[in-house]
This record gives sequence, structure tokens and C-alpha cells, in this order.
Amino acid sequence: MGAINTHFVPALDGVAYGLLLFVAAAGLTLLFGIGGVLNIAHGTLFALGGYLAASVSDGSWSSAFLGLAVATVGGTLGGGLLAAGTLPLADRGHLPQALLTFGLSLVGADVLTTVYGTDEHPVVIPKSVNGTVQIFGHVYPTYRLMFIVVASVLALAGTYVLGRTRAGALLRAAADDREMVGAMGYAPWRVHAALCGAAGALAGLAGGLGAPIIGPGPDTADKVLMLSMVVIVLGRPGSVLGAFGAAIAVGEIETLGVSISSNWAPYLLFGLMAVALVVRTFRGSSAVGAGAAAGAHA
Amino acid sequence: MRIPAVLLSRPVRIGVPGAVLAVFLLIAPSSFDGYGISLMSKALALGVLAVSVSILAGYSGLPTMGQAAPFLVGAYTAGVMSTHGHTVGVLQLLCGTLVAAAFAAATGLVAIRTRGVAFLMTTLALGELTVTAAGEWRSLTGGTDGMYGITPIQPLPGMAALSSDRSIYWFVLTATAIVIAVVWWVLRSPVGKLLLACRDHEARMRSAGHPVTRYQWLAYVAAGALAGFGGVLMCTVNAYVSPDDGSFSNSALVLLAVVLGGATSPLGALLGAGLIVATQDWLSGPFPGHGPLLLGLMFIVAVYALPDGVAGIRFRAPKRRGGPA
Amino acid sequence: MFSSRVSVRLRAAVAVGAVTALAAAGCSSSTSSKSSAKGDAPINIGLITALSGSNQALGPDHLNGFQLYLDTHNDMLGGHKVTLKVGDEANGGAAAVPVAKKMIEQDHVLAIAGIVATPTIQAVVPIATAAGVPVVNTGGRPTVKDVSHLWTMSFMSTDPGSSMGPYMAQNVPGSVYAFGPDYQGGYDQLRGFTEAYTKAGGKLANDGGKATFTPFPNTTDFTPFLSKVKASGAKAIYCFYTGQNAIDFVKDWSQSDAKDIPLYAAGFITEGGALKAEGQAAAGIITTMNYSPDISSAANRQFVSAWSQKYNGEAPPATAMYSWDAASVLDQAIAKAGPNPTPDAVNAAIKGMGQIDSPRGTWQLSADTHVPVQKWYLRKVEMDGTALANVKIGDLATIGS
Repeated sequence: MGAINTHFVPALDGVAYGLLLFVAAAGLTLLFGIGGVLNIAHGTLFALGGYLAASVSDGSWSSAFLGLAVATVGGTLGGGLLAAGTLPLADRGHLPQALLTFGLSLVGADVLTTVYGTDEHPVVIPKSVNGTVQIFGHVYPTYRLMFIVVASVLALAGTYVLGRTRAGALLRAAADDREMVGAMGYAPWRVHAALCGAAGALAGLAGGLGAPIIGPGPDTADKVLMLSMVVIVLGRPGSVLGAFGAAIAVGEIETLGVSISSNWAPYLLFGLMAVALVVRTFRGSSAVGAGAAAGAHA
Repeated sequence: MRIPAVLLSRPVRIGVPGAVLAVFLLIAPSSFDGYGISLMSKALALGVLAVSVSILAGYSGLPTMGQAAPFLVGAYTAGVMSTHGHTVGVLQLLCGTLVAAAFAAATGLVAIRTRGVAFLMTTLALGELTVTAAGEWRSLTGGTDGMYGITPIQPLPGMAALSSDRSIYWFVLTATAIVIAVVWWVLRSPVGKLLLACRDHEARMRSAGHPVTRYQWLAYVAAGALAGFGGVLMCTVNAYVSPDDGSFSNSALVLLAVVLGGATSPLGALLGAGLIVATQDWLSGPFPGHGPLLLGLMFIVAVYALPDGVAGIRFRAPKRRGGPA
Repeated sequence: MFSSRVSVRLRAAVAVGAVTALAAAGCSSSTSSKSSAKGDAPINIGLITALSGSNQALGPDHLNGFQLYLDTHNDMLGGHKVTLKVGDEANGGAAAVPVAKKMIEQDHVLAIAGIVATPTIQAVVPIATAAGVPVVNTGGRPTVKDVSHLWTMSFMSTDPGSSMGPYMAQNVPGSVYAFGPDYQGGYDQLRGFTEAYTKAGGKLANDGGKATFTPFPNTTDFTPFLSKVKASGAKAIYCFYTGQNAIDFVKDWSQSDAKDIPLYAAGFITEGGALKAEGQAAAGIITTMNYSPDISSAANRQFVSAWSQKYNGEAPPATAMYSWDAASVLDQAIAKAGPNPTPDAVNAAIKGMGQIDSPRGTWQLSADTHVPVQKWYLRKVEMDGTALANVKIGDLATIGS
């Protein structure tokens, strides 16, 4: 009972943090798994969303929603730029695209610090969710609790769109056979642009939603990119459910894991990632299983 | 406008740029000051690392994001030897190479099982773990502040210690030339063709009875050894080692150097590393803090303007379109 | 066909041309500015700080403090017109080696100021010492083998903790839970606190009685670490964090089980931009620092008013004050070094310096460690007018040896 009590907050926080990572990684996994673009500038779009949301926030609900809208639009525009940049490279494999987006991320980081400076930008969130609540005798931030709900809804909506709608079916088809989708009358560049735009919108939205937890600052892009890459690799690129499981697993590793064994905290994330990758390769089994296994052993 | 066939023959395509580079490396130092020379030394050390990445990414089809890890192991080996009074350069190179090879042999057992993006991510994870371990193992490595004030080396027993940037450069250049010549010789032998065949036709090679996984493991170990060699050189150049030398960004930069250089060209990898050092450390001088911006712009331009890499454009004959393959 | 072949060769030519141009430019720039300063000839001063990479939130204050001194002194140090050569240490360490070499070999700087991260100190000081160039350091200061050319304007990394330890042992009715980031500067900071605190009779509440170190720079969520504090029965927290870590730690602390447990810290946790980002979450935090903008002295008033005039009425962070002092120390030393100042003469002049009048009060350099012997202040984050500020609430010990 004592152990459960001690680890309750980290475990709950792992869910919130994991969902944040899921929202952050969703755009990356979509674009990489389906579009084949490993977007190194993904973290930069997340940071852009955060800065935009922070710049309009004044503590009112209307500014909070405006912030999310602006962040999403900003992310979409970034995605459009990405689409235009990567389209000419479409038949040259992964590496040139990764090279390009790496370059874009370096340029983007410089632009963001030039515009917003090197200090972290605080987001002023509405008073009613800025405080704390009591859960089973523990203090916990209200915003993170709300975030769990919002992110869960987003995850369900994403699964629905990808699994049950015509647009989703088209995207899944594009992942398997681009030429076939082309033959159906959808120009490949349109599918590509739609994917990049959607991925950018998701990244911007995630940045806006996540800003009160991972505030926009000069380190944000790198951190989000690194964690998102871990998530999509563990969850198998393109799989929404896989990314969900992996994100929760990584969230728990970063919270419950360090709470249980703080001596090994520095090694936990990448150690378990390496183990999961190798275990999966040896077993040749599904990614979700490996991701969940990594979480269970934490 | 046909290019005469003789200009496209292999000796000319490789020999001419190689000779130009060699002449540049030999005469340039006489007009550089210590700063310029030490940048050239740094570019050579990083170039050796880039060549090791080209063995993996280019010849073996294994794009790595963690090759700075054996590089770091080599650099620390040299640093630890120096603090214990073993300052003979050749000995440091030998030990650094061996320790890095042993490190790669162990990590390779894990990494080589994976392919594609999984390999990329496994090597990234191994690299990050190595950096963390280097920061945590304070009794050996000095922790995150690194090993500093490292004693200058003597190239061979009995020789004087290398006290100037210029003498360090000649040592680094000689060592680099020898090791690159060896790599070149090995890759031009059937070993290189075997690696390329395994890269392009893995299933066919397996069914022909070739132990492809073992070949790739050996390539991984050899690349690790080479990276360790580069790490020792970097330790000599900077007289300083810290976990940051093994960082993800170093691994990514050399992978990009290889892409810039045309994946399967050791010479191109060296040139790519040179371009990166020139951009990051020299060109950015008047714009402090904007080194990453210049690197970023360089990559964007390179992707569109140099589809075959800096070396590829000079080394490869123009493709004939429409004719038989 | 024609165009594609031409463009291939064109690209090749461009690439070769670019490489040659780089090389040629490298040659030519080395021959310039060889002549040393004559009479009141202009001089070059190097300033290394973090303008990109993981410490970039800390870097600009080092530059701005120095620049402000130059702005308010006609761009002169010791009677010579100064050209400031700024270099980026990026993540610190090896990245700064070429920067320092360029300053020494090409710019022939009289001194190098700045330096944020302790690995940069370890990488740069041996090079500067070999060239006889003094380093006037304004950031973290680790233990260094040869301090003959290293002069620290800030503090020894152990000093903030050493000043706070005895105070907390006397004033906190129970044990203290200690946190720091997992790198050398963090170990030094926490070692300073733990040694002084336990020596004065205090006891750490952490598991195993040792301070907790959080992974750096990857920790963004401190909630799991903070969840242990309440259960440990600690009556206070002491920590050292800077930059983004500081902001995340304060926000998470203010919304955790530990929010009723008072937070004590080394002053950087609520300096400058960090305090702005933390906002109300930081209210009530008690810190130790060798500076507070509300110190009443002529030197401080001059500095604070110059800073707030240039930066929208804001209060200056301590880091900017260290850099201001670096410029002021160089100003006096260069003046003493004669009409043709050399790095050696400047180094000797700094060594011979007595009491230094500074916005923080007067201080002097320790003869052994070359670190300030100075007073530490107790500060609390309170509303000061319309904004939160670090308000001085008492004096701590004078530290330095």
C-alpha cells in the first residue's frame, strides 16, 4: 500500500506525459509511416506551435482556443513548406529528405531564437485549470489532468479518421501502393501535400496543447524530436495504436521508471529503447508487443 | 560537347581530384597560422570518422547515427593513456583502435541484428548510452567536464613531444594518409565488392552460402576501429575530450558529410568533413551563434544542387538516358 | 542531354571553386592584423559565451553585461578603443577550442572574457595559459590545475551552497531534501551545500543521505522526483538549477505534493528570464546570491540604471553584473599595463589588483584560487512594485579563500 501511495503520482503523471508524447509524435509517425519522410524538423514545428500559442495567451479561454488555432495554422503552413521542399526529392530515398529536414530544423531553430529570443516563453492558461486538484490525497496539476482527457479524445478521433473514413483509407492505401492511389485519380503530389499539411497541423497543435507542460524554449525542438523518434520506433511507424502504446510506455519510463530506480534514470530511456528494438528484431514480432514489454519491465 | 573517354577513366576520375587534394593538404599549411592549421587537423580527424561511416552507410547499407560512440571510446583511450604517462602517439593510435574495435565487436552483436531505420535508431540509442556512461564513469573519464590539459604526444618512442599546431598537423596528416590508404586498398579488393553485393542482393548472397550477417558484423567492427583511430587523432588535436565529442549531433554531422561526399567515396567523405568544419568553425566566425544556421543552409543547398554528393559529381560519368542499362 | 551534361560540369566547377575559395580566404585572413597595439592604438578583447546549443538561454547576459560597460565607457578599456571579438562556445568543451585559437592566433586578443560552461573552462584555459593570455571568467568555475592565467569574476561552483548550508542548518526545523542536475557543475554546487550543511549539524532527507541528481539535459518533468520529498518528511528543499531546468523545476514544485515545503536554492533558479517564465510559481522561493539589484551603493545604482535604461526597465541579472565587473577589471588592468599593453602585462596587473569596487559591493580576488572573496546575500522572491523580484532579506557569510 505504501509503495502504491509513493508511486501513485509518478504513475498518473506517466499517463499525462505519455499522452503528451503521443500527441507530439502523432504527426511524425503519420508522415514517416505513410509518407516515408523522416521529418527531423518535426520538433521545430512543435516549438513553433508552442511559441505561437504563448504569444497570444492572456489567461482567457478565448485566447487559449485562439492560441491552439494559431498554433495549428502555423504548423500546417510549416507542413506546406515541408511538402514543397520534399516533393522534388520524392524518388531519391529517405536520406536526402532527412538531410533536407535536418537543414530546415537548424535554420528553423535559428529563426525561432532570433524572433523569440533564448528565454522560455510562458503560456498563461485560464485560471480555472491553472491550479491543482486533490486526487487520493495527492496534489496534482489540473491542466495535466485535463490534458489526459483532451489527448485521449484526440487519440480516439485519430484512430477513427485513419481507420473508418475514406480519407484515412486513402492514406493507408498510399502507404502500401502510391501508384495505385495515383491510378485512382489522386495526384501523388496532392496526397503528399495533404500528408505534410496534416502532420504539420498535428505538430503545431501538439506544441500549443503541450506548451504549459513543455514550454517553448531553445531546447524544446531537440527534446521533442528525440522523444518522438523513440516513440515512433517503439510503436512501429504509421501505427496509431502502436504509437499510443509506445508513448504511454515511454511516459511511464520517464516518470515511474525514474521514481523507482533513480540511480539508473540516465540510462533508462535509451537502454530500454535498444533492448526493445533488439528483442523485437529477434522475435520478429509486432511492435506494440515490444513497446508494451519495455514498459512492463520498467 | 562529348567528354573524351580518357577523362572519364577511373585513374583520371579519382587520381586528379585526389592529387589536387594531396597537393592542397601538403602546401596549404605553409600559408596558414596555427588556428587554420588546427582546423585542418580537426577536419582530418573528423574525416577519418566520416570514412568509417561511409564503410557502414555506403558500402554496407547500414546508415548509422551512433558512430561518434566508438570515436569517443578511442578519444578517451588516448586521454586515459596520456594521464597515465603513455604519450607515444603510435601506441595511442594502436590501443585506441583496438579498444574501439572491441567496443564495436560487443555493441555490433546487438546492432547488426537490426536493419534500416531500426539500425539507425539502435545505433542512436547505443551512442546516447555511451555518452551517458562517459559522463557518469567519473573515476575513469573525469565526468562531464571531460579530460583536460592532455599531455602532448611523441609520435614514436624517443621523439620530441609535438608542441605546435603545425607539428600536430603533420602527425595527423601522416596517420590519416596511411589509414585511408589501407581502407582504400581493402575496399578496392574483393572485400569491397562483397560488401556491396551483400548490400544490394542480401537474399541472393545468403542463398549462395555467404554468411552475410558475419560480413556485416566484421564491417561494423572495422568501422568502429577506424572511428576509434579518428577519436585518438581528435584527442591529439584538441588536447581535450568530453562526452560531448560523442554527441548525437556529431554522429549526424558525419553522416551528412558522407552524403555530401557521395556515399561510397572515402575521398568524398574527407571532403565532406572538411566542408562541415569549414562551415561550422571558420565561416561562422563573423556570425557567432549562427554556425548551425550556416550548416542548415549548406545542407538545404547541397540536397538540391549536389544530388550525387560533392565527390559523386566529379567521379561519376554522366548517365546515358534511353540506352541499354 | 546537352543541358544536363553541362549542368553536371557546372556543379562540379562550382563545388571545386567553393572549396578553393574557402582555402584561399583561409590563407588571406591569417595575414591580417598582425601588428600589436601602439600607443593608444585599438585593442582586441575576446568574449566566449553560449549563443547556440544547450546553454544558449544563459549566454546573452554574459555578452550584454560586457557590452553595457563598453557602451557606457565610450568603447574604451584602459584608454584604448576596444574591438570585441565574440565567439560561440555552443554546447561547451571541444567546440570552444577553435574559437579560443582564433582569438589568440588571428585576433591577438589581450584577454578572453566570458565562458558559461565548466567544460569550456577546462578546454580553453590550458590553451590561453600556454599563450600567456588571461581568461577573465564570468560563468561557472570548477577546480582548475593551473590558475596562473584564470581570473574568476563570479564564484567557485561550491560557494553558493557553502553560504546557504549553515543558514539552513540553523533555520530549518528538520531535514532538507537536496536536488541538482547530473553534471560536474551540479555535483560541485551540491557538494558545497551538503558539506557545509552537514558540518553545521544538518541532515539530508534524501534516500541514503545523498543529494539526488536528475538526468541532464533530458529531464523536463520533475514531478516523479518531487513525489519523494513529502514522504521523506523533509522540512525544506535545497536545489541548484539553471535555464530551462530551473523553470521546469519551479513549475512542477509549485503544483506538487511538495508545494507546501519551502524551496531554497542557489540564486540562478530565479534570475532574469527564468523568473519571468516562472511567474507566480516562484513566489516565496528563498535563494542565496552574491548580488541583488536592490543593493544600495553608488556603483550598483550606476549599473542598474544603465541596464534598465537599455532593457525596458528590467532589473539586471547577476550574470550581467559579473560581465560588467570583468570589463571593469580589464579596464583597470589595461590602464596599468602601460601604453603598449601585452597579455602578460595585463595578467600581471590583474594579479596586483586589490579591492575591487563593484555593484555587488567591494571584493577582492583570492591569491590561491583567483576567485572572489565576497559576501553572499539571502534573497526572497516577492512582489516589488508591479513585478516579482529577488528582494534582499539578509546577509549570509563572506566566502572565499
